[in-house]
Amino acid sequence: MLDRIINWWTTNIPPWVLIALIVHGTIMLTVAYLILLERKVASWVQDRIGPNRVGLGFGIIPVLKDWKMNGFGQPLADGVKFILKEDYRPAGADKVLFTIAPGLMVLVIIISIAVLPWGGIRQTQRTLHLPPGGMTLHDSAVAQLAQGDEMVGEPVSLGNDNYQVTYRYPFQIASLNIGVLYILAVLSLSVYGVVIGGWASNNKYSFLGALRATTNMISYEIPLGLAVLCIVVMYGSLDLGSLVEKQCHNWIGIIPAWNVFCQPLAFTMFLICIHAEANRAPFDTAEAEQELVGGYHTEYSAMRFALFFLGEYAGMITTSAVCVALFFGGWDFPGLRGHADHPAVTSNLIICILRAVVFFTKTVAIIFVFMWVRWSLPRFRFDQLMMLAWRALIPISLALLMMTAIVVVCFKGDSYDFVGGSMALTLLGANIFVGALIAIISTLIPPAPLTNRRLTVVGSRYSKTPLPLAS
Amino acid sequence: MKDSDVIVLEEPKLSLGDQFYLPQVLIGLGTTMKHMLNVVVRGKDRVIQYPEERREDLPVEKGGMLLKTYRGVHRLNKDEEGRVKCVACFMCSTACPAHCIHIEAAESPWADREKYPAKFDIDELRCIYCGMCEEACPVDAIELTHLYDIVGLTRQEMVFDKAKLLNIFDETVKKEPM
Repeated sequence: MLDRIINWWTTNIPPWVLIALIVHGTIMLTVAYLILLERKVASWVQDRIGPNRVGLGFGIIPVLKDWKMNGFGQPLADGVKFILKEDYRPAGADKVLFTIAPGLMVLVIIISIAVLPWGGIRQTQRTLHLPPGGMTLHDSAVAQLAQGDEMVGEPVSLGNDNYQVTYRYPFQIASLNIGVLYILAVLSLSVYGVVIGGWASNNKYSFLGALRATTNMISYEIPLGLAVLCIVVMYGSLDLGSLVEKQCHNWIGIIPAWNVFCQPLAFTMFLICIHAEANRAPFDTAEAEQELVGGYHTEYSAMRFALFFLGEYAGMITTSAVCVALFFGGWDFPGLRGHADHPAVTSNLIICILRAVVFFTKTVAIIFVFMWVRWSLPRFRFDQLMMLAWRALIPISLALLMMTAIVVVCFKGDSYDFVGGSMALTLLGANIFVGALIAIISTLIPPAPLTNRRLTVVGSRYSKTPLPLAS
Repeated sequence: MKDSDVIVLEEPKLSLGDQFYLPQVLIGLGTTMKHMLNVVVRGKDRVIQYPEERREDLPVEKGGMLLKTYRGVHRLNKDEEGRVKCVACFMCSTACPAHCIHIEAAESPWADREKYPAKFDIDELRCIYCGMCEEACPVDAIELTHLYDIVGLTRQEMVFDKAKLLNIFDETVKKEPM
């Protein structure tokens, strides 16, 4: 009976459905536990322990209440709180927009999870029924496989017009060949949720917060795109799966070919930009509690606030995952690579699952860095934020892109293979060179004009007093 | 003020490391990581896990409670013969910033004093535990004890009358003499 179900499942339902269900469930669970992680990390930095008592029993369920979970039932408690809170809408708030704003933000961010490269490429077999017809055997088999799957070899006859087909499918939800572009485009749409939420709240402070969040997110998308371009130019492909695959070898035998080692400046800029995109400290003027109460989510309570919150954390997860895929080799780990020519391909399901676990662990490490930075740095003033984006990050990323392009042309010309050790060293040198250039140029730029200039008003009691003579 | 009194300061010049911001960021990240490792690995947090550990059990140097000066719930003191010390002079009631003490005076049944309180109510929920009543009392009748975990289910339950306050005296006089 179980055999028949498994058989039916593997023949009729493509593998990405199961992967999608598992990934979606995992991401939602992770978002809930990230709230707990944030509180714990905040506490550790402040010399205290975070929530360490909440279990699953609500204090009364007989078996569960004695199971000491040391705080890991906190997300359940938070979830129940969010559902049961009073959900009101302020008077004068736009009825439709107020309701859909948080949903819009969450929807857009959940869609972007689809192209993350969790496990490389899996090679497996399947039995297909190929009746003789007009097409050749090969073509009729390819027609029955999903688009994007690659057939290996020829179908092997099993008798009765049944053929065993060996094929490869990417172990992710969707393997778009414009993966990076898709993620950048979709994440830009999350700005809409923020600005609509702030506008629909009928509240000055929410509106100001939404405005600040919008300019914040839009300004930092340009250096984000340029930093990503530095990597894409090296490999000539926007597909996240192949970007990860191209990092799966070693330089000098031991150093893994991750982009963070050959382009640290691009990594730093990418990290800064994703902090700004997620409206996280130190870029969180949009929701600065001291200034704007809650910013764009002041008027939201209960489940709608939970959706905004969830959207922010899910955005953090997605951008961290992209950071790991681009710079830290994604699922790469010694022992999990396939053949030297095609490191992503493996026929072992366990290896694919292990790769997904490694990818997830690296993502959580980057998210820990998000939280670590939040409790270490003071908030930027809004004009400092804008100056950082437009006057600092964009010129740096443009210079870096130019240097990367020059190096790529010198070393590769037309083909896009693995990045060799000498090219990596040259790229590292280019990064350091751009860094030194910034150092020199920044000393040459004249300082910004004083923001509070003293106006000499002749004959008024506010006229400038002469400075005391140095004695 | 004369012009010669004004001191004009200049902003301190940022060093090159400060101007780049990232080196100082990394030093700051190091400080927070040090605190995190202290808490997680070496257990040096400042947390008292409440129902299992209580503050009065800790020594004062480690964050414990100094019983003589801690301002908890009030009590009315009795003298050696067991009579209430309070003479209903209304000084504590007047001194209270939260107006939580309500006294009704009556003629005292004892010879050595003129008045005594017939009713002495303190609304423990309005009280801000400042200790002004303790400072104001001329006969050391009202004192703040070390009890802090008084709870109640209704607001009326937390309005302590004279009997309750004298009861607290009986409970706490051993651990915290007058």
